[in-house]
Amino acid sequence: MNHRVVVAGLGNDYRGDDGAGPAVARLVAASTGAVDIGPIAEPLDLLGKWDGACVAVLVDAMRTGAPPGTVCVVDIETESSRQTTSTHAIGLGRVVRLASVLGTGPRRVVVLGVEGADFADGQGLSDAVVRAVPRAAATAAELLFAAGLQS
Amino acid sequence: MAPDLPIQDRQLDMHGISRVEGEGSLHVRIRDGALENVELEIFEPPRFFEALLRGRGFEEPPDITARICGICPVAYQMTACAAIEDCCATEIPESISRLRRLLYCGEWIQSHALHVYLLHAPDFFSCADAVELAMVDRGAVERGLRLKKVGNLLMETVGGRAIHPVNVRTGGFYRAPELGSIRALADPLRAALNDALETVTWVASFDFPDVEGEYRFVSLVHPDHYPIESGRIASSDGLDLSPAEFADLVVEEHVARSTALQARISGRDTYLTGPLARYALNQERLTPRAKEAAATAGLGERCTNPFRSIVVRAVELVFACEEALRLAEGYVEPEPPSVVVEPKPGTGSGATEAPRGLLLQRYEIDEQGTILSARIMPPTSQNQLTIESDLRRVIEDGIALDDAALTARCELAIRNHDPCISCAAHFLDVEIERS
Repeated sequence: MNHRVVVAGLGNDYRGDDGAGPAVARLVAASTGAVDIGPIAEPLDLLGKWDGACVAVLVDAMRTGAPPGTVCVVDIETESSRQTTSTHAIGLGRVVRLASVLGTGPRRVVVLGVEGADFADGQGLSDAVVRAVPRAAATAAELLFAAGLQS
Repeated sequence: MAPDLPIQDRQLDMHGISRVEGEGSLHVRIRDGALENVELEIFEPPRFFEALLRGRGFEEPPDITARICGICPVAYQMTACAAIEDCCATEIPESISRLRRLLYCGEWIQSHALHVYLLHAPDFFSCADAVELAMVDRGAVERGLRLKKVGNLLMETVGGRAIHPVNVRTGGFYRAPELGSIRALADPLRAALNDALETVTWVASFDFPDVEGEYRFVSLVHPDHYPIESGRIASSDGLDLSPAEFADLVVEEHVARSTALQARISGRDTYLTGPLARYALNQERLTPRAKEAAATAGLGERCTNPFRSIVVRAVELVFACEEALRLAEGYVEPEPPSVVVEPKPGTGSGATEAPRGLLLQRYEIDEQGTILSARIMPPTSQNQLTIESDLRRVIEDGIALDDAALTARCELAIRNHDPCISCAAHFLDVEIERS
């Protein structure tokens, strides 16, 4: 794939607010023309899908204790240095660094988080996250535009 | 770690071992320069899948148990199908069995590639993770990612998607993949086979600690092929049992420090499942290129150095690519894609070889097909006591090392067995105490 601008939602549409990322990504793709390469269940799956992209905006649900629906830009450098405790999962930050070392990743990666409230089984976002989706999509579009200008 | 203690009396704490799934801790106490105690303490909450399955329909286990693990969902699906079909006395046509084996090969390829390249190999280069390894040997990491991608492609093509495939059902598949889509796998699989062969050469050159373990190996055996999705259960000390008989023989105990059950064979104690066991009991049934690769890597008839498990995994990568290629080239669409499974009251057991070892499931259902009881024995539960024994040996051999080096050696010893704590509902921080 060799799209200049890509967007990807990380998460699972069948786990409540974990579907926030894919929901925002779909809206961003529809409104900006960016290519939606998600949904991404495991960060490693980004490798190969975003190769050759100039800019990638990744959107993921988060659980930080902030009010549900909070939208923020995540510092990927901080995330990449965080210790993980999994044999099998490689965190988003490390995947971004790995792609950078391999020279295959996008030139710029922007990560957007949407605070979720309910991650139980089942489809559907909580009210706060539903309200946050267009706001997050607008922020993502702005980030895409700004990153595209700088790249 | 307690820095004020002299080296002969010390305690090492390892919290949150990286590249090990789940939560738990390892406590090591060394007194007067001798190992006094090793304890795996497991505190991740149990996941109650067995209770969750009770009262559900007999066709639901493949989808429910697949959720136990994101890395080996096919293993759970295939084992669940085998157990339910055993209970219902369902005969599965050869064309469906072959397609199941093809799907399972995809899981072996992606799981082994992930473990060998991104999780285990960094240890042998003193790298913190795959990112550092890519800085040292970019080509190797690229090769690993290519292999993983082919495994994922195989799972997507047959299973519908790479994580938690949706095309598997009791009796077979919801839909048979089209002939063209399976034949199109041949070229990627040929390339993957070459990458797998290079993997064996690469890992065989690593510098391995000179440690030999004493293991009771347990794995599936099959008269016609290297075991994946079917077979009887054999051990290196002479057991030859059906999955049901083996499940009866295994005693699972709860210990206070762990939320996981610990498995022992009644009257024989601990055992090891996984690549070392499969290889020891089945190496003569490897595919030709895999057999040749094993010989070139100097594996011999069995490998008892746990640190060399990475070489065995690489050989199994060759096998899985070769086997998948054979199955893809000979693919015939099963028609129909599944056979009817009628509920039959009773108990059924199934066993398959997950990438990291033997997986057993047993179900009791009533005449309506409602599940009355379920038992799941993941490989990590079965291997846990043997991993503890390995750690004891590794610590005794390396007791003169400083705490940092000994901690690193313990982490490596654990990763040798690629434990999947999500599957076993457990695991791992490490504490070494010298006092």
